Amino acid sequence: MSFWFWHGLRKGIQSTRYPARVESTPGVSPGRPVNTDFSTDSAAQLAAEICPTDAIVAHGKSTFVNHGKCVHCQLCRYSLQSPMDWETGYEWSRIPANQTESSALPSPFAKSMHIMVVDAGDCGACLHEVKQLNNPLYNMHRLGLFLTATPRTADVLLVVGPVSENMRGPLLKTWEAMPTSRKVLAVGTCAISGGVFGKSFMCACGVGTVLPVDFEVPGNPPPPLAILHGLLVVAGRKSLKTPTSISEGRA
Amino acid sequence: MNSVAVALALFFAVCVTGIFAGAIVPEKRIPATLAWAGSIAAGLAIWAAGTVLVFGGEFRHALWTVPSIGTLTILFDRLSAFFVLIAGVVILASSVFSAAYMKRFAGHYSLMAFNAWYLVLCASIIWILIENDVFGFLLAWEAMSISSYLLVNFEHRRSGTSQAGYLMLAMSEAGFLAVTVALLILGAGAESWQFSDLKTAAIELGPFVHWTVFLLTFFGFGVKAGLVPVNAWLPKAHPAAPANVSAILSGVILNLGLYGIIRLDFQVAPVTTTGAGLVILLTGTVSALVGILYATTETDLKGVLAHSSIENIGIVTLGFGASVVFAAAGYPLLSGMAMIAAFYQMLNHSIYKALLFLGAGSVDEHAGTRDLDRLGGLARLMPWTSGVFLIGALAISALPPFNGFVSEWLTLQTLLRGVEISSIPLRLAFAVCGAVLALTAALAVTCFVKTFAMAFLGLPRSENATRAVEAKGVAIAPMVLLAVLCLVLGVLPTFVMPALNQDLQPLISVGAAESLIPPFFTATSENGQLPPAFLQDFHNLGAQSGERFLPGRGLVVLLRGSELNPVVFAMSPSYSFIALVFLIVLVSIVIRRLTRQRNVVRRPLWAGGIPRLLPQMTYTATGFSNPVRVVFQAVFRPNISEDTRQTVAVHFRTAIHRQREETHVVDRVFLRPVGTAVREIAAFLAGMHHGKLNAYVVYVLAFLLFVLFFYRAT
Repeated sequence: MSFWFWHGLRKGIQSTRYPARVESTPGVSPGRPVNTDFSTDSAAQLAAEICPTDAIVAHGKSTFVNHGKCVHCQLCRYSLQSPMDWETGYEWSRIPANQTESSALPSPFAKSMHIMVVDAGDCGACLHEVKQLNNPLYNMHRLGLFLTATPRTADVLLVVGPVSENMRGPLLKTWEAMPTSRKVLAVGTCAISGGVFGKSFMCACGVGTVLPVDFEVPGNPPPPLAILHGLLVVAGRKSLKTPTSISEGRA
Repeated sequence: MNSVAVALALFFAVCVTGIFAGAIVPEKRIPATLAWAGSIAAGLAIWAAGTVLVFGGEFRHALWTVPSIGTLTILFDRLSAFFVLIAGVVILASSVFSAAYMKRFAGHYSLMAFNAWYLVLCASIIWILIENDVFGFLLAWEAMSISSYLLVNFEHRRSGTSQAGYLMLAMSEAGFLAVTVALLILGAGAESWQFSDLKTAAIELGPFVHWTVFLLTFFGFGVKAGLVPVNAWLPKAHPAAPANVSAILSGVILNLGLYGIIRLDFQVAPVTTTGAGLVILLTGTVSALVGILYATTETDLKGVLAHSSIENIGIVTLGFGASVVFAAAGYPLLSGMAMIAAFYQMLNHSIYKALLFLGAGSVDEHAGTRDLDRLGGLARLMPWTSGVFLIGALAISALPPFNGFVSEWLTLQTLLRGVEISSIPLRLAFAVCGAVLALTAALAVTCFVKTFAMAFLGLPRSENATRAVEAKGVAIAPMVLLAVLCLVLGVLPTFVMPALNQDLQPLISVGAAESLIPPFFTATSENGQLPPAFLQDFHNLGAQSGERFLPGRGLVVLLRGSELNPVVFAMSPSYSFIALVFLIVLVSIVIRRLTRQRNVVRRPLWAGGIPRLLPQMTYTATGFSNPVRVVFQAVFRPNISEDTRQTVAVHFRTAIHRQREETHVVDRVFLRPVGTAVREIAAFLAGMHHGKLNAYVVYVLAFLLFVLFFYRAT
């Protein structure tokens, strides 16, 4: 005899209440380095040098972090005498660096948005996090967000991966097949800047080189709540936490 | 001489003239000659049949008297006329079609011979239908068998054709023998070999002899009709024949088998027992199921149609069987309904099957293959052919507003009326047959979705299919004619059914159609044609207003029941058709209105983002029908052998060769055991022949003693 029904009742609702309440469950996010002011120039220089993906740029005593390149290797956190400052959280979505503003989908889509996910050559990490959105904890259906298998009914194109050469055509085809009120959400460092893959003969430097991207979710991989935040931003139900500014250190 | 006689005489004259004309004209003119001769002859046959059907009266004529055999007579009654009418329509269509189709054989095969045998076949078909004595009937039957064998064997250099032809000839001769024996038994007690005299003799037959005669004629004619278990030749011979001959084979010659059954088992020696009815009913049911199962899994376009012919003839036979059982159980109205349904189904089958075979011929001619796995995408290249083929496919799948729907619906409803019979086993038999018929109808839809979609939709799967061109007008015209007939017969059943009832009066009980089609238009509260409660309901709907502009009784087929259940079932294809057209027009207007302001963006087809959609990626006919193949594995019993080659290591397969062999269930269950038994008996008897003279003398002596003893005993 199965008691799943009673177990369920006893446990109560386990889904996160985000975005109605702030989610503070530990471990949802590895966190990320933030712009830090060091005491010496050399400390800032060391922080910039230790970063394997050149996400940290030193400028005098200050360092600026380009989260579009950061892969959360945490070298700058644990391997430095004077570590970078570190923030935890997940409301990281932002507007692409080469744009000054992006608009969300029009209001009819706010409570019902269909998402087409394209894996443009990612390592599986970001895709795995996207997959978590469907599990009972994050349960994106409660917000009216649905995955769809065809671009014809999709409103948002969620791209993970740096866009490998073989996926460039299919990605473009998917984008072209979508109705024109479409938005593109690039999820993950690779999708934003190419990440550890970088520019190569088999790989584009992120989705932005192929398609006009509307919003980005940095992180490698971004935690599910960050992706959820990005989707809510696209739906116009959340505003960007910090307006993009030059202080984010885009070099 | 009345006009019918003139028409018939002219018919045979045209056939003979056509044969001689074919021998004289140059080869490239032969198709045109054939088309003219065939269509004029068919027109004359239609005219003769129409005269008899419309104006009544039958034509009887004694031809000449042959010593020791008797008088050869012809009788052109309404039953004959009905079959001649169907044959005429099919022959007309296929003859006109031949004008374009036969040109492909010029230089490869003898068109002169084809012309001759085609016209002989046409003539012998009509001859069978009007012949009214045993000798002439058997002679005509042989002429038909042999000429149809020669036509099937026309493309004799193609592999498999000769084999199919021989099988057809052998089986039809076996059937012929059975029929001959039955007729000899019947004729033994008769005054002459006229069918009318046989009929008087048949009344005095004992039950055992009657059963023997019934089984011999039913399965003897069943060979030509394609009934399980004597139909092994049909799925092989029909695809092997040229398309115009296939159309005649399916549209007319199968009907001849049914004609034989009707003439002998329903008129000359009528079966009245429940047992015989059940034999007919169950044979029909099994034929329908087996036919459609193999049609669904077949990938040869003409093979699909051939198997589906078995299914349709099965449904017709099922209707005949139900009619006999109902009559034996004392339900003349239901018996008549079953008969109407069966004859209607037969008429419909002839028309849409001829249409589909001609369509298949067009496809074969212009796309170069009949393999459904290699066709595809012909709808764009052959719009007319695919349009008429679609109509045929809809009709054969029994979808309204086409003709197949009416007859299959009526057959099914009649079977469901089996609940009225008091005997529980009979009710069970009807329920099972009804369920099988419903399954058959569902599978038929699957089958023809597959056939149409694989041949005409999607991407072309071979080079030939990409280069297909539309057939010529002269090939399309007969198909359009048949397609229009499909629609007319489907939309106006309330005019067809009384006509069938009136024309096949002794077979269909009087008033069957009248009681099925209530006189809504003409009924008033005074003349009492309908109960007042009914009348009120239908007058409220405005039924009587139809009297002014629509002749006939009404446009609704309706079976009235008891007080508790006033309407047992009802349908009106005519009103449904009007509603359908109205709705389609309405919806298209609404859509056009709504989308008038919108700008349309055209984007390439979404195919999962793959670089190019290749034909290999699309569904094949084999893949589409595989679920049926898996579900009914117990029937198909495939013999699958798989051969894999592994070069690098154990689990690295480099080549998989999978072979699947199927033996038709009838071959496996019936034909092969019979063949083995015959061979074993022959081997045993061959032991007698060892060449010793003494032994032969003993045989002769023993036989002499046997004969003496036998005659002394009797």
